[in-house]
Amino acid sequence: MSRFDRSGLAGAAVLAAAALVAVLAPLLIDAESLDVTRVTADAWQPPGAGHWLGTDHTGRSVALLMAQGTGTSLFVGLTAAVLSVGIGTLVGIVSGHFGGLLAGALLRVTDFFLVLPALVLAIALSTVLPRGLGTIVLAIGLTSWPSTARMVRAQTLTIEARPFVERARALGGGHVHVIGRHVVPSVVPLVLVNATLAVASAIVAESTLAFLGLGDPTRISWGAMLHQAQLHGAVPQQAWWYLLPPGLAIVAVVLAFTLVGRALEAVVTPRR
Amino acid sequence: MRLAGRFGGAALSLLMVAVLGFFLFRVVPGDPVVSMTRGRPTTAAMQAELRAQFGLDRPLHEQFWSYFTSLLQGDLGTSFTFRRPVAEVIGERLGPTLLLVGTATLIAVLLGLWLGVRAAWRRDSAFDKVTTGVSLTLWAVPTFWLGMLLMMVTGDLFPSRGMRDTDTAPDFVSQALDVGHHLVLPSVTLVAVVCAEYALVMRSSLLEEMHAPYLTTARAKGLRDDLVRRRHAVPNAVLPAITLVFLRFGLVVAGAITTETVFSWPGLGLLFYDALTGPDYFLLQGLLVVTAGAVVVMNLLADLLHGVLDPRVKVV
Amino acid sequence: MRVKLCALLAAAMTLGLSASPAPAQQPVVLKVAIVQQIDSMNPFLAVFQSSTEINRLMYDYLTAYTADDQSVTEGLANRWEHSPDRLTWTFTVPEGKKWSDGVPITARDVAFTYNLMLTDEVARTANGSFVTNFDHVSAPTDQKVVIRTKTPQVTMLALDVPIVPEHVWSKVGSIKDYSNDRMPVVGSGPFVLSEHVPGQFIKLKANRTYWRGAPKYDELHFVYFQNSDAAVQALGKGEVDLVNRMAPAQFDSLEGKAGVTRNKAMGRRFTELMINPGAQTRTGEPIGDGSPVLRDVRVRRAIAQAIDLDALVARVNLGYADKGAGLVPPVFGKYHWQPSEAELRRFDPAAAGTALDAAGYPRKADGTRFPLRLVGRAGRAYDEQASEYLKRSLGDIGIPLDVRLVSDNQLNESTTAATYDLAFSGWSTNIDPDFVLSLHTCAQRPGADGKGGTTDTYFCDETYDRLYAEQLSEFDEAKRVEIVKRMQARFYDQVPAVVLAYENALEGYRSDHFARFTTQPAQGGVIMAQNGMWGYYGAEPAQRTAQTGGMGWAGFAAAGAAIAAVVLAFVVLARRRAATAGERE
Repeated sequence: MSRFDRSGLAGAAVLAAAALVAVLAPLLIDAESLDVTRVTADAWQPPGAGHWLGTDHTGRSVALLMAQGTGTSLFVGLTAAVLSVGIGTLVGIVSGHFGGLLAGALLRVTDFFLVLPALVLAIALSTVLPRGLGTIVLAIGLTSWPSTARMVRAQTLTIEARPFVERARALGGGHVHVIGRHVVPSVVPLVLVNATLAVASAIVAESTLAFLGLGDPTRISWGAMLHQAQLHGAVPQQAWWYLLPPGLAIVAVVLAFTLVGRALEAVVTPRR
Repeated sequence: MRLAGRFGGAALSLLMVAVLGFFLFRVVPGDPVVSMTRGRPTTAAMQAELRAQFGLDRPLHEQFWSYFTSLLQGDLGTSFTFRRPVAEVIGERLGPTLLLVGTATLIAVLLGLWLGVRAAWRRDSAFDKVTTGVSLTLWAVPTFWLGMLLMMVTGDLFPSRGMRDTDTAPDFVSQALDVGHHLVLPSVTLVAVVCAEYALVMRSSLLEEMHAPYLTTARAKGLRDDLVRRRHAVPNAVLPAITLVFLRFGLVVAGAITTETVFSWPGLGLLFYDALTGPDYFLLQGLLVVTAGAVVVMNLLADLLHGVLDPRVKVV
Repeated sequence: MRVKLCALLAAAMTLGLSASPAPAQQPVVLKVAIVQQIDSMNPFLAVFQSSTEINRLMYDYLTAYTADDQSVTEGLANRWEHSPDRLTWTFTVPEGKKWSDGVPITARDVAFTYNLMLTDEVARTANGSFVTNFDHVSAPTDQKVVIRTKTPQVTMLALDVPIVPEHVWSKVGSIKDYSNDRMPVVGSGPFVLSEHVPGQFIKLKANRTYWRGAPKYDELHFVYFQNSDAAVQALGKGEVDLVNRMAPAQFDSLEGKAGVTRNKAMGRRFTELMINPGAQTRTGEPIGDGSPVLRDVRVRRAIAQAIDLDALVARVNLGYADKGAGLVPPVFGKYHWQPSEAELRRFDPAAAGTALDAAGYPRKADGTRFPLRLVGRAGRAYDEQASEYLKRSLGDIGIPLDVRLVSDNQLNESTTAATYDLAFSGWSTNIDPDFVLSLHTCAQRPGADGKGGTTDTYFCDETYDRLYAEQLSEFDEAKRVEIVKRMQARFYDQVPAVVLAYENALEGYRSDHFARFTTQPAQGGVIMAQNGMWGYYGAEPAQRTAQTGGMGWAGFAAAGAAIAAVVLAFVVLARRRAATAGERE
């Protein structure tokens, strides 16, 4: 068993656990215990017998908040990544393969979106659109595709410049043949790496937007928890139990996505 | 001809940036004059005067035209917040950002590429495992969270904000050391996250390249490992990495927003964040045009370099 | 190359260590954290509270407010009198006061400043509201300023306008383009600007020739922080000496911290929940989309009755606030109003429910009566938390709340366009209540085009407006106080907004560096954000032991060592790898 298989399995296990928590949490957690107006525990309690991850600034259990936030973070990460990589791959292959006006136009659009600092555009979008998960997904998906497009395009160009593709073309291979037989297989690894990194970066982006106070304030997510922690002074309080878990959870899930993606990559591109 | 096309394209991008910069931030709801005067004794007449001062009472197309014509003359308008020319405000903040982003990018690129190359070449070695593991973990860390953690963990060792103390001796050495002292945490934060990405991309890019038939040929010829790597594999694998470095140049500025926000580093990122809360239209426009302009130029360079480094790439 | 780097680091470290012994005569510096941006150092343009406060240190006003009880006292002028018709005011600027460059301060400087504002609209940007009623200003002698107003004005002794030196500002071409931060900046206050690095800090030096006497320390530095969290941490580390606007939890975190003293002061701010009373323009056209049920004052009263103000203060403000009542916070004791037993609306959800039933809004089959929207600001801790409580309280009486937390601009937009049912708001008030009272008059509503309004709550009430006009021309203070209180009672009764709480101003300072600060008012007052400069001016340094800063260099040395170690590790590792690489194949 190679290392990738093992780390990939570990990643998959983490993701499965996270997915399980995401599904079960809303069913098992009593809404009362997350309602700030009904909690009875003291605020800022360090981890102890009653609350094994301590309590937040309102006396809610950090452990319960963590569980509740899992679903939101996963949902945003997955949908935004699909949106972003989908657009990116399509634009990349088309602009790399076809020359002429279309490629030129696509390239302009890609360049244009590239030069807009993604975070700034996402911030502007989340300010303009109504607050909600959809807005966050859109803001992340619409701003993070150009780098995928750029890389896919570069790969497409490189592949198409190779002798065997030129030969295929000389032998009468059409666009479909070249794209299907040569370009797509060669960009798949890249797209896969990109897709995993995109889920990962989308989760990070969600937390960043939430941290800047642009998230969906009515939903609990890991990013929103960090926003609250900062807003209510967790750092000067030295309330590590409020600051560490959401961050560690983000790191764990993002890392898990990356590991699974890499394991997949190893399967797709076996050693020649 | 090809060069002309590239430059023309860049110019077109800049034009689109200028147009979007104007409209994007005007879609943001809210009357800047109301935000500006909130909580102060203000009369409606004073608000109207302010509106006229900034030309906000004119129709949108007139505002756009005057914005566009002055932009061509290098005039970015006047900031609501600072009541000074936007170009001047941006100019003051450019230095700190260049220092932070420059330092961080330089370290991240060198370290990242070097780590990536070594890790790929010694695939599955202990070095590779450690590098990859650490990089993957760092890549997963939200920048702002890392910043907050570093702040909490380092305690009194480093200043928690800003670029320099106000009571440092005015001589050059003290000032430089003070800035260096302040620079440590923000740049460590930025390097940690960015460097990981460079290392990973460089590694995977090189691994791809190592399977290429010509490398087997080169080895079969009896070339030493080191030589094969230096002469053949690395130059080819560096391509995607270089593209990334240049693309990152724009994104790093955006990434700097969070780092600068966490550490109150007085650069463009912080300015951007502050301007958004205004909203300071002219400042936002100016920031967008300036940063985007820089990245357009960088992209142009990336394109040209790509052609120079890889003769196989056909010209579009 | 690597060796060079190490050498460089070593050199840097030695330099750092050799630089650390402090020179013998180190100036005593008060370092203050500010969280808000500085917009401009030009007193005619600066509108942010932070810049206004710094301008106050650089320029005296015509009159001032005492630190003890905020009554009017000598500023640049030491005597004043008005004509029987109260239209002409004469202020006396005594001899002997000097600008920081030694030029005497005269009445002509005062007249110059006001006239500049009357003639140049740009100069009215920040403080124009104080002079709009001025008809004519002149200085017949160097000691006398004569101001004639169009109508009697009660705020003549509360003209918060920085007076600038004529010999400097008469040479300024365009006020709009003058940043006023090129040294030397000539001022009249206890401090003189010495350096301004935008986005980083502002340095001021003590004005040794200040007419009240020089401050007790040498320099005053304002250091810019992005958020109060960072500022509180810096206070804990001793990087700054004074911090205000802390969140309750941040304030609590400083409890018992060595060298830090906390100041829980009465604040000038109040937080309110606006209830859209059926917004209309000045011309009576409906505007916005507020729920029609709220036009019924019985519904508004029922909503107010269903809110547990004590619980909000205890759970959301963590006790660092006073329960809300009238529009003037208790810090301005004279004008502050509390409801009498008869007027008081006690928290009583059952009674609120009965009132709603009686008003014709019974519960439907699902238990609800009618839904309402609540708008608040995302990222403001108070709104995020209080909205949860309101959601529950109003849900209990059958009003489901749709909470929308939005950005600052969206909130402003929504309250200006009256597209809200309920919304959070808040105001900072002044010693003279005129401004905060004026916000609720009919005339402040926007014109027919929906523009040009500065109304807070779209309140328009005949009784209130009549009282407002009365207090404006009432020069007997006791009688004016009475009218102002009746206005607040009317406001409380009609509930266009529920004043939820008067927030405490939470401040902290390094008592190991500064032993004492002058608060305003003397009892339970603030150090920063005063109506004056007493907090900074009256600060007394503690007996200095050792100057801090040693830790900083230790940190730098540690960082250098860490970097060096990492570099070294890589060098060693690289060597070893290179060696094994040669052996492979």
